Amino acid sequence: MALREEATERPASADQSKPLLRPRQGFETWSWFFMRVSGLILLFLALLHFSITHILNDVTDTDAGFVARRWDNPMWRIFDWALLFLALFHGLNGLRYIIDDYVRKPANRAVTKAVVYSLSIALFAYGTLTIITYRA
Amino acid sequence: MSPAKSTVYRGRTGQWAFVFHRISGFLVFFFLLLHIVDVSLINRPHLYNEVHELYGNILLRLFECGLLFALLYHSLNGLRIVLVDFWNDAVRNERALWLGVVFITIAAGIPGSYVILKPFIDGKIF
Repeated sequence: MALREEATERPASADQSKPLLRPRQGFETWSWFFMRVSGLILLFLALLHFSITHILNDVTDTDAGFVARRWDNPMWRIFDWALLFLALFHGLNGLRYIIDDYVRKPANRAVTKAVVYSLSIALFAYGTLTIITYRA
Repeated sequence: MSPAKSTVYRGRTGQWAFVFHRISGFLVFFFLLLHIVDVSLINRPHLYNEVHELYGNILLRLFECGLLFALLYHSLNGLRIVLVDFWNDAVRNERALWLGVVFITIAAGIPGSYVILKPFIDGKIF
């Protein structure tokens, strides 16, 4: 957005052939980009997943047999893993913003992040293992 | 003017859009962590089935409806944020877009919640 604002506000006298001054493309730029891209994909993956498992089927029908039938098809395992991967890291990055906003003391912030990151990554590994190793 | 007391930020719709986005994202993330654990019980099918029976009670069905509203709002408002980032017309109309987000969230959330609560409405579960 900032780039575009600069583009529209350039004085006419400026040399139009020169490239715009770009902000440094650091971690936060990629974080912003990841949130946009993963968010757009998740819009479809998450809403489709919810529709199938909560609207088209009742939650009590999604029993062990339901999972066995579904994961018989590797495409559903890939779908579920993509959803797990994108949702977890989109959510974890969002939580990082929240921690930076509200946990102000450096020591507290470091501890909070250590706990949240460890828990999330352990659960990501656990979920990945479940999807890969499951046998009906 | 002393800065200390009089600087409470009172944004308008944009602030509410942000607040709801943050709360809904936070809730969905913690549900995801819980959901990884409950799905991973699949390797013990009996335990998995017992937990999913539990998901069928009215309290957890209401929780499911909350999840639906949070997902809808967060998805649609996220789409609005992407539009505002990349498209000048969306910046000019961000308030109208947000009202659209709220409208669609409610319009899709109510029938969805009805389907989720239907077994309870029909008296099949308690």
